[in-house]
Amino acid sequence: MVVVACGGSDSGASTSPSSDAGDRVFAGGVAPPTEILENPFDSDTDAVVVGEGLFAAMNCGECHGGGGVGFVGPSLVDGRWRYGGDDGELYQSIYAGRSRGMPAYGGILADAAIWSIVTYIRAQPIPESVPTESWR
Amino acid sequence: MSDTITRLNAALEGFASPEHRVGFAASIGFVLSLILVAGAEGQEAPREDGQWTMPAKDYAATRYSGLGEITPANAARLRPVWTFSTGVLGGHEGQPLVVNNTMYVVTPYPNVLYAFDLTEEGYPLHWKYRPDVNPFALGIACCDAVNRGPAYADGKVVYNLLDGHTVAVDAITGREVWKTKIAELSIGETVTMAPLIIGDRVIVGPSGGEFGIQGWVKALDLETGRILWTGYNAGPDSQVLANPDTFRPFYDEGTELGLTTWAGDTWKLAGVPVWGWISYDPDLDLLYYGTGNAAPYNPEQRLGDNKWATSVMARRPADGALVWAYQFTPHENWDYDANAEMILADLTIEGTRRRVLVHFDKNGFAYTIDRATGEVLVAEPFVEVNWARGIDPATGVPQVDSTKLTGASKGNVENICPSLEGGTSPASPASYSPRTGLFYVSTNNFCMSWEASEAVYIVGTPYIGASIPYTPGADGHLGAFIAWDAVRGRKVWEIREKYPVWSGSVVTAGDVVFYGTLDGWFRAADARSGELLYSFKVGSGVVGAPISYTGPDGKQYVAVYAGIGGDWFLVAGDVRSDDPADVRPPADFMPDLARHTSQGGILWIFALD
Repeated sequence: MVVVACGGSDSGASTSPSSDAGDRVFAGGVAPPTEILENPFDSDTDAVVVGEGLFAAMNCGECHGGGGVGFVGPSLVDGRWRYGGDDGELYQSIYAGRSRGMPAYGGILADAAIWSIVTYIRAQPIPESVPTESWR
Repeated sequence: MSDTITRLNAALEGFASPEHRVGFAASIGFVLSLILVAGAEGQEAPREDGQWTMPAKDYAATRYSGLGEITPANAARLRPVWTFSTGVLGGHEGQPLVVNNTMYVVTPYPNVLYAFDLTEEGYPLHWKYRPDVNPFALGIACCDAVNRGPAYADGKVVYNLLDGHTVAVDAITGREVWKTKIAELSIGETVTMAPLIIGDRVIVGPSGGEFGIQGWVKALDLETGRILWTGYNAGPDSQVLANPDTFRPFYDEGTELGLTTWAGDTWKLAGVPVWGWISYDPDLDLLYYGTGNAAPYNPEQRLGDNKWATSVMARRPADGALVWAYQFTPHENWDYDANAEMILADLTIEGTRRRVLVHFDKNGFAYTIDRATGEVLVAEPFVEVNWARGIDPATGVPQVDSTKLTGASKGNVENICPSLEGGTSPASPASYSPRTGLFYVSTNNFCMSWEASEAVYIVGTPYIGASIPYTPGADGHLGAFIAWDAVRGRKVWEIREKYPVWSGSVVTAGDVVFYGTLDGWFRAADARSGELLYSFKVGSGVVGAPISYTGPDGKQYVAVYAGIGGDWFLVAGDVRSDDPADVRPPADFMPDLARHTSQGGILWIFALD
């Protein structure tokens, strides 16, 4: 399966300071949705299973770690969120991407697929306390 | 170890006098010291000007400083004399430069360049250069947003930005002279390596072995930044720059090897990045570099030898023409990148002075190779190795243990040594002293399991396909700093460390070798015996490479970064504290590193009191 995300481009050398602003519209290439977002699957268990498969197939775990425990990208199972953790906010992060390297899957995945991933992530158990360490 | 290439060693057993024999004796404790052949393999030391203008000190990548004020007799008098917070938390790999009494420091993303005036008290800045770096690169860099340092030539400080640009900055004014886009972020290319400037050419290459890039090296014009040539590491001869008339690999024959050793068109997603170091022999007019892993990690998706992944490449700087290549790990199954430095030395082997390169590979073998031809002269394991029994001296091919082969059809393959962190990491370059004839190497003591799965290629996202948990190696220590005899292929001494050793090293004419530890100790050791001389707990784990230089006052100084990162930012547990939305459980193979260190970029300078 080959899916192409789009990025800006420039080429060659310049002799004066330049801005890379054009490079920053990355992947997807579609405007983020503006309406109120509601997860059609809620906590549907079938959607959790589909979402788990998509989480692997879309290489989510390659950045966020297997099970979303954190790797290059932040943990998705510590109950803490950079950009908000409710269903609609997670949808937005997946659909439109985030500036520190999260690709925009809005041009790649159908709505139902994104919602399935959201449902899978939201189904992961959150520890009662953050896993800091005492070493005793 | 005994099954490995031994023809030269066997000959040397009878040749060397007893007092010249070196050996390794395992024992408990931190320091194992030994015997040494004082200068037996030594050579004329290069001229020392007290500066550090190239990433690895010189074209030969020796990281040898000719300064001798600090010695084993006085090293206990070392003291930190100055520190500076870089304001950046990412892994501080690489090293500063010192040119004309100015110290140049490049940080991890966002790749700030500082120029410190060493002639004034407190070393205030001449200037600070802040490039405009695309933050999206943070998610494309596989292994923390590191940078391995700048290079200096012709009044310019040249270095790479994580988002795929090379910049040249005026060394006096801090003004940007040129900026060239060399890599394409949207297809998974970032840039973390330190460039090498050869004459009027700036040699650069990309990271991205985990994103299915088609790896390359480029030469830029030092004056203008214009791209002069691009040589790919896989693909058709026309892209690899392998002219059948001039490409002469020692072991391989035929044409289009970068094409025909990949199933179908899998070479287009070959990986094969260039994220390590480059060296250069002016007499042979050859530049050398190692190539990285083949992509993806599921090797069943790229049947064949996969040339020239995990290889050493010898090219002409003028036009990039490939002169020879040698593949360390054909059809590699274990992410054994060969990006570690190629250290150039002249060693006496079988009674003959040979121009060699010495390379410590992630696959656990140390290679001594004729750098004119690519012939392997010595290949012995320098850490625990079980994926191969040795290297066939006739073919240069590893004798692979088939039970360690990986692939999606093979399920979970357990107990593979070394781990994908490597016997040594290319991020932690070795040093070589022509005085002792020894190489000083940071090593890791991990094994791993490897469960491959079908990888899906989505442009600009990881192309991996494997789950790879680590397990500690034997003997209860996770790393060691060792001295290596590259003629005999033997460890001479080692200093065992609790954690993997991930710093580079510098060795000096005072016969002192400096390195740092992952839990934040900066150390000095006797280069001949391995005796620890000095340790100081710096502010964070050390993954950078120390340098030594002469200050304006004529004293010898040693500078090193503290700032844990690289892979250990990803897998070592909760070593970060800056992001309330990212809290991580401890790593089961190394549960307490975060007890000893957390992120933080600090430049330290040491001198005798």
